[in-house]
Amino acid sequence: FRMSRLDFFNQLNPADPLLQERTGHVADFTENALSIPMSVASTELLHEFDRADLPEYAKFEHGTTTLAFIFQGGVIVAVDSRASMGSYISSQTVKKVIEINEYLLGTMAGGAADCAFWERHLGEQCRLYELRNKERVSVAAASKMLANTLYQYKGMGLSMGTMVAGWDKSGPGLYYVDNDGTRLKGNLFSVGSGSTFAYGVLDSGYRYDLTE
Amino acid sequence: DPYCFALKMSILQYNGGSVIAMTGKNCVGIACDRRFGVQQLTLAGDFDKVFKINDKLFLGLPGLATDMQTLHEKLRYRVNMYRLREERDVSPKVFAKMVSSILYEHRWGPYFTEPVIGGLEGDKPFVCSMDLIGCPMVTDDFVVSGSSNESLLGICESLYIPDQSPEDLFETLSQCLLNAMDRDCISGWGATVHIITTTGVTSRNLRTRQD
Repeated sequence: FRMSRLDFFNQLNPADPLLQERTGHVADFTENALSIPMSVASTELLHEFDRADLPEYAKFEHGTTTLAFIFQGGVIVAVDSRASMGSYISSQTVKKVIEINEYLLGTMAGGAADCAFWERHLGEQCRLYELRNKERVSVAAASKMLANTLYQYKGMGLSMGTMVAGWDKSGPGLYYVDNDGTRLKGNLFSVGSGSTFAYGVLDSGYRYDLTE
Repeated sequence: DPYCFALKMSILQYNGGSVIAMTGKNCVGIACDRRFGVQQLTLAGDFDKVFKINDKLFLGLPGLATDMQTLHEKLRYRVNMYRLREERDVSPKVFAKMVSSILYEHRWGPYFTEPVIGGLEGDKPFVCSMDLIGCPMVTDDFVVSGSSNESLLGICESLYIPDQSPEDLFETLSQCLLNAMDRDCISGWGATVHIITTTGVTSRNLRTRQD
């Protein structure tokens, strides 16, 4: 049963003889690689998880309300903390705001594992950018890195609707990024199953000069 | 598209709601949540699911709201006719049989509600629940029904104490319902608790987490 490795940092050539040498537990610690089975077309396999007749425990959690907007004091991010599996509440204390680094925040909507993993990965990319360029990454660049990564996995069943919010040289920044590779710049976003309700409240009460 | 929300829930979970009945010493408690909603959307927080049949008999009807209302009206008619003919109030056992028969009459097009009955047979507590086609289950401790019935069963098993006084029964019943509701997305938004004793009925509305 062979597994290939989907490298998401550098596009490695699997026929590279150096890679062939990595066997056993050494290969398991190869950085920046995800395994996918070679025998089955991977997109079909992963679509098994989108079927409607799954048992409750296999369904991913989508019930969420997250919102963020830019105002005179910067960017504000607000999220709920419930995780539900169908009608069962699995947790009331989920952290749906992910600290990418000290000046960038990401929100979680859709698959919790997908958001947590890829936003952590984005944090690694941002740190490497800082080390190479001796300056902080901009919110625009960070969100673009995330969007480009997700685009590589388009159609493979990732589920993420996230907002990247932060502060850079040009002031506050807010981008919406999702699993199709959509990336939108904006002043006000709401994501999740409760987003329609949040938009109702936001659209009637939002002003740029709100105080903290 | 993961953001289009039309959940594939069972028809019994379309409106959501939970009901619980529990016995004590010469008293019975029956309680329900107060949410009215359509799948994930909540529309009201004052929609009781427990109805008074007579001074010593209450009926809880969780499940599809339209069937709950229709069944309640049908039963109200039958109980009124019974009282006119028999010149006495219907007893809980007879009422349970009446509900069971009406539900089975619709065996192949049922009312989507799984009723819970709590009352006093003389001064002995009586609780009974049934499935949507009328199979009765009479227990001597507690019965539960609704969208959080598994959570309710679990917590009742843990917290139930036999032969409690009306005040203690109220506390136990409330805690069982509240904690089970907090684990269910489609129950909640308040609770109503009725304690039936030989001297009368005490009804209380509980303020709970409004989510």
